[in-house]
Amino acid sequence: MINDLEKKLKTYRLSVEEYEKIKSLLGREPAPIEWPLYSALWSEHCSYKSSKIHLRKFSYRNERTPLMDGENAGVVDLGFDEKIAFKMESHNHPSFIEPVQGAATGVGGILRDIFTMGARPIMSANYLCFGDVDAPRMKDLMKGVVHGISSYGNCVGVPTVNGQTNFHPRYNKNILVNALNVGYFGPGMKMALSNASGPGNYVVYVGAKTGRDGVHGASMASASFDDDSESKKPNVQIGDPFYEKLLIEACLEVLEKNLVVAMQDMGAAGLTSSSFEMASKGQVGLVIDLKKVPLRDSTMSPEDILLSESQERMLLICEPKNFDVLHKTFKKWNLDSAILGEVQAQKKVKLMWGPEVLTDIDPDLIVESAPRYERPYTKWTPKNKVAELTRPTIQFAEILKKALSSSKLNRFTWIYNQYDQRVGAKTATACESAVAFTRLEHSGRGLALAVGCRPDVMEMDAQIGAYDAVYYPAFQMALKGAEVLAVTDCLNFGNPQKNEIMSEFVASVDAIVDASEQLKAPVISGNVSFYNETITENIVSTPAIGLVGLRDTVEDIRPDYFQNPFEMILEVKLNWVESFTWINSLGNKTSSFKSYPEINVPKFIQLCKNLDTEIKAKKIKVSAIKAVGLGGITTTCLKMTTSELGFDLSNDYQGVTAADYFKDTFYSFLITTSELEEVRKFLKSYFNSIPVEILKIGETTQKIIRITSEFQLDFDQFQKQFKQEI
Amino acid sequence: MMTVGIKIMPRDVILDSQGRAIEESMKNNGFKFEGLRAGKFLEVSFSNENKEDVKTEIEKMLKIGGLYNPLIEKFEIIF
Amino acid sequence: MSLKVGVTRFLGTNCDQDVRQWFSLNGHKAEYLWFEDQFNSNDYDMLVIPGGFSHGDYLRCGALAARTNVMKSVREFANKGKPILGICNGFQILCEAELLPGALLRNKDLRFIDGWQTLKVENTTNAFSKKMSVGQTIKLPIAHGEGQFYADSETLKKMVDQKQIWLTYENNPNGSMLNISGITNAKHNICGLMPHPERALFDWMGSSDGGFFL
Repeated sequence: MINDLEKKLKTYRLSVEEYEKIKSLLGREPAPIEWPLYSALWSEHCSYKSSKIHLRKFSYRNERTPLMDGENAGVVDLGFDEKIAFKMESHNHPSFIEPVQGAATGVGGILRDIFTMGARPIMSANYLCFGDVDAPRMKDLMKGVVHGISSYGNCVGVPTVNGQTNFHPRYNKNILVNALNVGYFGPGMKMALSNASGPGNYVVYVGAKTGRDGVHGASMASASFDDDSESKKPNVQIGDPFYEKLLIEACLEVLEKNLVVAMQDMGAAGLTSSSFEMASKGQVGLVIDLKKVPLRDSTMSPEDILLSESQERMLLICEPKNFDVLHKTFKKWNLDSAILGEVQAQKKVKLMWGPEVLTDIDPDLIVESAPRYERPYTKWTPKNKVAELTRPTIQFAEILKKALSSSKLNRFTWIYNQYDQRVGAKTATACESAVAFTRLEHSGRGLALAVGCRPDVMEMDAQIGAYDAVYYPAFQMALKGAEVLAVTDCLNFGNPQKNEIMSEFVASVDAIVDASEQLKAPVISGNVSFYNETITENIVSTPAIGLVGLRDTVEDIRPDYFQNPFEMILEVKLNWVESFTWINSLGNKTSSFKSYPEINVPKFIQLCKNLDTEIKAKKIKVSAIKAVGLGGITTTCLKMTTSELGFDLSNDYQGVTAADYFKDTFYSFLITTSELEEVRKFLKSYFNSIPVEILKIGETTQKIIRITSEFQLDFDQFQKQFKQEI
Repeated sequence: MMTVGIKIMPRDVILDSQGRAIEESMKNNGFKFEGLRAGKFLEVSFSNENKEDVKTEIEKMLKIGGLYNPLIEKFEIIF
Repeated sequence: MSLKVGVTRFLGTNCDQDVRQWFSLNGHKAEYLWFEDQFNSNDYDMLVIPGGFSHGDYLRCGALAARTNVMKSVREFANKGKPILGICNGFQILCEAELLPGALLRNKDLRFIDGWQTLKVENTTNAFSKKMSVGQTIKLPIAHGEGQFYADSETLKKMVDQKQIWLTYENNPNGSMLNISGITNAKHNICGLMPHPERALFDWMGSSDGGFFL
């Protein structure tokens, strides 16, 4: 008997304590079908049991962000009768197992979270973390993930406009694949919610037939990889972007025709999560006959059907009088729709297998009663903070050679040009830009999108890194004239049952809460991915961030690259944190840092945001503007070069040692101009209320890259290495 | 010279999105059949005409050389 | 003069809205033509087959779309000598339907390519080149995985002789024969091109050279 129980607990990934809790909630032993229900809905991925008490801190909202507790994606009201929905989600474990399909289904999943609300997806972005380029399988994983994102995203017809690709050895056995999507509500477009209602209304299944894809998938996302990884042959979920495209069009059409009461996509834990969550949110009951589910494989058991993660399926509620037109609309788009049952007033979800009742259970006994763990953690104390920084000893040639061969200095064009960036005819920027802009259809304003979180900074200090995850993309957005409106997150961490990981989690959440409140940009949606560990090796804690912002137009967005030779390069620097993060990362070392906590970063960001307007109004001659990234002014200048234009720092910037040329200061930006004195004067006056340094660091050139009078790079060779595929 | 065929199909439990799309389109155009699955067919030529040797080499190409993805595909060697 | 333009819509067409926007901006009236329905050729002055992934690009790009009901009417429209423009997937569909010669194969580097291309105008004897001049270069974006134009040598020779080569790449990105980016049929009423003119209408898009087409 004990053995049986142990086996069951292992299969369904429930702890003994959780089992005891289930028994006390039900007042009896769980029925056979209730084991997979609890397994899926109480998994970390679905229930957020280790994070919920901390996620409550993201409660700040403002007039643009109505409270939409528990909805699939967060919504921002942009005014002019326009709204957007946006969210970010992880698909880490499946991508490690089968990178093409893992990444593809990640993109598909987040798209569904958006259009299930009635928004038309208009921008896709991704945030990727890979290990050492030479780690086992890593090159194949990279190629596979990029291919998955590209093949799915391009076919479904949503442009991929932004991305960030990071490398760190601590992702060697656990890569991160986070997908983000933004959807648009134009004037008159209706928002759909997911709370079931209306006793007698039909519960309708639409989309692809159900197969054995990913059975036990949600639980898989919450388990760490062990040595068995290679021999596990799960039923890999296959994404079909063609079907997804049909689903998008059909769903938006039935919503426009007002045929839908509520809708939810079938994502992790498929039919289980969608049905139970819709019932619990609406505080109603549902009667569902699993025999009515359209199947690809007729040998599937009720448990298989409940746990299947076949892609491109939705569950919706519609009034009986509307079913006929709804069915015809889906048929037009070549999709199945089947009535599985109906809504009932009594708050019980009754799962049937033909005439047999499998369970008749209050959905809140599962959904609302999921455990809420208070995982132990320690209050944050920075371990790498120092009073004075020590300069690492480096040689220019050596450090650049290492950077160019290791992905720390690469244009990644070979990734971005696999993505369709312009379908929709609204994209105003190239995917490799730090900030993406799309033209909003009705008002013509520019919607900005950027992602953030720099693993090397997170490793240096989780708290600073989490602030940086929000501040840095907000800063980049501000420099292009966009105001940040809202934040979404994808919190990727290791094992929350380990104190040091949980401490980093809490410190990150608290920092994100503070940063978002100071920037007046609420965190309106998000995702948590725990257990990104293999045996005992955890990833770098990675709270990935997505930001949306607004700019009055998409015209005249100042470029990230040098525009003309013989122009002056100025740096405007605010010293909040100083470190040698980039240099240390090349030697796989963690950096120490010095900080000035009294510095008001959000105020600086706000000023930067209005800089664009001021420059235009005063007709100041500025050609390019770019935030300084890791690796300091030298690396940033290298990234600003083009096939014709280089730079020379030798006459202006006098670093004490080579390390100074790659020193990291948060935050500064470079600005190029032909009118040095006019611009210097303007900047000094504009930023006079905050302690910034403004200095000329160099000049743009024709095909020359000179860093000091002794060190120069071969221009053509650098361009070749910079663009080469890893 | 000997040419051997390798038929690579999606595993039975795996969704065959290509097969599904072709099947639905063909049926829509009035063609009558039960089902359709799509895969790929490789033709590999060998100068060594010993069947056993060739089979061993092909199996190596498949399992070690990555000619198929065991997670989502199955294969058949056709002499 | 305001034209009535039919824009075909297959399962998986993605650029229909973009094309409709393009024609509306130019004062024309664009209507969608659903793939399952035939239409009357007299109802339209011009047809456009937009880009996307019709039928998921499964089997062969454009193969399944080329055999749908709407194409029967498209063929009739073509036989009347009326103008048809196929963009990207639309070009592939026209080739599969044999309304244009040749075929589009997988890009030579086997990868999807998105980027800006400089194209040279080789011939202007078709309905979509009224604002172009021979020898002119235009900048348009491409985004495709199967854009390598192939035709046998006999067909290619005929195409050259009959001035069917419309646009060529200055820096061939996909291995197309003779650097072909866009072609017409022998009668010059049916045009196909891989780049997307509807994505180059304003400077903020990156180029406004789509303006040379209408």
